[in-house]
Amino acid sequence: MKTAFVLFLSLLFGYAAHAQQYMTREGYVRFYSSTPIEDIEAINNQTTALLKSTGEFAFRVPILGFRFEKALMEEHFNENYMESTTFPNGSFEGRITDWNEGLKDGSWHNVNASGSFTIHGKAQQRDIPAKVRWDGEKWTIESNFLVKPADHDIEIPSMVSKKIAESIEVTVEATLNPR
Amino acid sequence: MKNLLHPVFIFTFAFALMCFGHPSHAQSLLDELGPEELVIRPVSATFKDTKIINVQSNETPGANVLHFVIAHRFGKISDGAYELWGLDNAGMRMALDYGITDRLSVGIARSTFQKTVDASAKFRLLQQNSDNSMPVSVTLYSVTMVNGLKWADPTRENFFTSRMSYTHQAIVAKKWDSKLSLALIPSLTHRNLVESLSDSHDQWTIGAGGRYKLTSRTSVNAEYHYAIAGLPTEHVNSLSIGMDIETGGHVFQLHLTNAQGMFERAFLTETGGRWRDGEIYFGFNLSRVFDL
Repeated sequence: MKTAFVLFLSLLFGYAAHAQQYMTREGYVRFYSSTPIEDIEAINNQTTALLKSTGEFAFRVPILGFRFEKALMEEHFNENYMESTTFPNGSFEGRITDWNEGLKDGSWHNVNASGSFTIHGKAQQRDIPAKVRWDGEKWTIESNFLVKPADHDIEIPSMVSKKIAESIEVTVEATLNPR
Repeated sequence: MKNLLHPVFIFTFAFALMCFGHPSHAQSLLDELGPEELVIRPVSATFKDTKIINVQSNETPGANVLHFVIAHRFGKISDGAYELWGLDNAGMRMALDYGITDRLSVGIARSTFQKTVDASAKFRLLQQNSDNSMPVSVTLYSVTMVNGLKWADPTRENFFTSRMSYTHQAIVAKKWDSKLSLALIPSLTHRNLVESLSDSHDQWTIGAGGRYKLTSRTSVNAEYHYAIAGLPTEHVNSLSIGMDIETGGHVFQLHLTNAQGMFERAFLTETGGRWRDGEIYFGFNLSRVFDL
């Protein structure tokens, strides 16, 4: 009887622990391409991100949601490079490999997110450095990493290659609330 | 109560909770993000340039963008080998369009054909949305053309207004998918001076244009304009077929057309070439944008 009750509690607790999910639909993603000729920046505030208390982490960013300074840049980005009608989202799906309860002490911790990073329909296995902070009720995640268009079959014609960096700097910032 | 605490019951309850209470592991993490974000944006690049071939497309240069176009129409292919199938002769139009806002632009251009200057304004009235809540784009275009040729008869009393003609049009365009865009373009052309008493000052035309993308940077384009009340025998409806090549900043448009003039009154109502007789002009529009 007692055993069964303990089992019941542990299952319930296990269930509850498993169900801890943190989420946002307003994550911030910025990319920045810098060359001597031109700097190109775009910002997206419609990123969905999910973090589980197991360290599993995913985000999805709608490509059409990137805003540029110039209308023509946005047009070229969607039409020529990202082909956003065919490949509407960029995404990451994986886990924070060094996940542990110690991350919850209220200060920033450097972690590593390992998983599948997809843009332009082409997935790459990536280890992406990130910073996380727990403030008692929600998680804040920040990350800065480089993406090479060539790794995702994004062709840049030689005529404009001097204007677009070989590696694009991507910044992700998201505050995830309990779901 | 005793029954409720029976081990079998508790275990069954807990097991049921485990099975149904949390997301299945088979589901991918991305699926758990829920429905995709709905991003509603004006549809971009219905056409690659501000013209389909001769006629305006629904596109305008963006705010603070200066759009410079240099366009040529060579001689008729039917002129034959002596004229290198028309390449020995060329008419030109140079145009400057400036985007005041993302929706409003003004332009000025000079054509060698009839030494005509044209000044225009273009306004995006409606923009198709990515979710098709607005299913079409509608752009209004208005142009005043001034013929700069010497007076045919300088001895009579000539008025400057006689040199002027106007075209007003609405470009109704729809991007059906990433490749196909179509436009319907009703136009009203008014000339202050007509050749004979029987000629009408106003002429309505209805145009159809489209493009089909072959690759992300090239497309085939076509346009046709039909004069609703018919045309004098020396004139025909204009038909043009071409190709767009976009190189980032530049757009090259290469085409074959039976219209020699590149301003609206000329190609909508005064097209002289007949396709079946080889009276076809090879030409190009080359555009370049400058951010000011």
